[in-house]
Amino acid sequence: MIFKYFLKSILSNRSLWGWGVIFMLFWLMLGVFVFSSSVPVTAALSYVSSYYGIISLFSFSTIAISISYTLYYGSSSLAYSFRYTKLTASTYFLSLLGASSIMAIVMSTIMLAATSGLSSWKFGANLFPYQPLAALAISAIAGAFMMVLAMGLVLIVINYAGLKNITFIGFVPLVLSYVFGFGQLYTKIPEALEYVSPFTAISSLLYASYGGFKIPKVFIDPSQGTLNPWLLLVSLIVWLLVLSAIDTQLLRRIRARAIEEARQV
Amino acid sequence: MLHVKQLDIVLGKTTILKDVNLTVNGEKVVLVGPNGSGKSTLFRAILGLVPISSGSISIFGKDVRYAKGLLGVSTNIDEVYRIANLNVKDIIEIYCELKEVGNNKSLNMIKEFELEDTLGKRIYKLSTGQAKMVCNILALNQKAEILLLDEPFDNVDQSRRRRFMDLLQNGNFEILMSTHEFELLKNLKDWKLCFMLEGKLWGKFEVSQLDRLYVTKGKVEGALKVMDTSLGYFSITLDKGDVQVRSATNLSSLLEAAAE
Repeated sequence: MIFKYFLKSILSNRSLWGWGVIFMLFWLMLGVFVFSSSVPVTAALSYVSSYYGIISLFSFSTIAISISYTLYYGSSSLAYSFRYTKLTASTYFLSLLGASSIMAIVMSTIMLAATSGLSSWKFGANLFPYQPLAALAISAIAGAFMMVLAMGLVLIVINYAGLKNITFIGFVPLVLSYVFGFGQLYTKIPEALEYVSPFTAISSLLYASYGGFKIPKVFIDPSQGTLNPWLLLVSLIVWLLVLSAIDTQLLRRIRARAIEEARQV
Repeated sequence: MLHVKQLDIVLGKTTILKDVNLTVNGEKVVLVGPNGSGKSTLFRAILGLVPISSGSISIFGKDVRYAKGLLGVSTNIDEVYRIANLNVKDIIEIYCELKEVGNNKSLNMIKEFELEDTLGKRIYKLSTGQAKMVCNILALNQKAEILLLDEPFDNVDQSRRRRFMDLLQNGNFEILMSTHEFELLKNLKDWKLCFMLEGKLWGKFEVSQLDRLYVTKGKVEGALKVMDTSLGYFSITLDKGDVQVRSATNLSSLLEAAAE
């Protein structure tokens, strides 16, 4: 079971723990103790839920960076292994998908515990998650989505463009997470884009599962109606399936690249 | 069985390999050539790590461009063992599993070669010689029918060289091995020999006939092979010629001596 080695590798990735967990906990503490000064206790659960949604989204996007670099360093290994070992593109893909999902569940569990503990203490109220298991299930799908997105982007670069842009490409999921995450919280994103964007779908679904609220179309103006959480879930799963199909095809055609190609200077 | 036919490798505007033909069938073959002669590129092409510009490479009758799950091939090239950021022990376990062999033999050999302290480290954190030996051990213990060994003795100390050489000599498998050291040839009596220079390959000769091989500048009638190089033509002849192959330390010095 090659899966267990990928799981071990991803769970022991210090960068992932540093940027995906510790740095996000720092953001969480800012949100709970610094930015919440004007939030009344009556609005605390909604505030904390949205914070959990966005922090988790950012946290999962760091998985994408790790996956990008795994493929970048492993292209020769994969080109060889698909030819001369029993490893197949599907096995590799599913192993990495499983490991990423589990890592996302671990991250989400930490975020859930930290969010509920710190915010309950700060606001002096019970702010525990409404549906923690639903939040973890969405986290698993979100982790898988980040993995397939990163894999697709990096494989396009590896197979067709060379490694010069690998650093930039590796950060695309993180950048998109920040753009859509903050965009959803502080601006009015068109409704269609809310449904089409997997990033807003992730943070919205996590918001709903934490607080048990309906998802507002516009967070800064909740009076403008709500989004259908099932459609958001379907959208996220469709993204996952489509990208998975593309990734496995790209993986079968992987080109071995010398890592030195990525040098910028 | 490995069959390389009219192989050209062109990377960018640079031709790395030119019309390379080679068959390894039930034998052990050593490729001798200076650094930059194209030996590693040939190995990388066989392993599917370099795109083939023209010609073909087949292993066990299958074109390597479309090969899948051919377990009978192994190599010591370290870049193929970077599948995940794990320590040597995990990498050994992964590749033994992917090759459907037990890992005891590899782990025991790690101990025999006094490399136990490498097991907990990433391959990139090992010394060059340690990394080479770990990859040699990985290549040797995958029940492969053909081993592709790129400079397996580079930076490896004498004691380990001797022991690993014995394992290669006694193994029941085909080998294609590269080296730039003529000195090694004295240990490879039953092997076949090819010369590689400037992306071209000439051979096969018998290593056992090494004392009888000579190089002469120019084209000599009845020569075993005529090498077309940037220094001009050189003929490889049996029993007579300008410079005895055995007298050289590497191919470049051999041709330079013949050119004088």
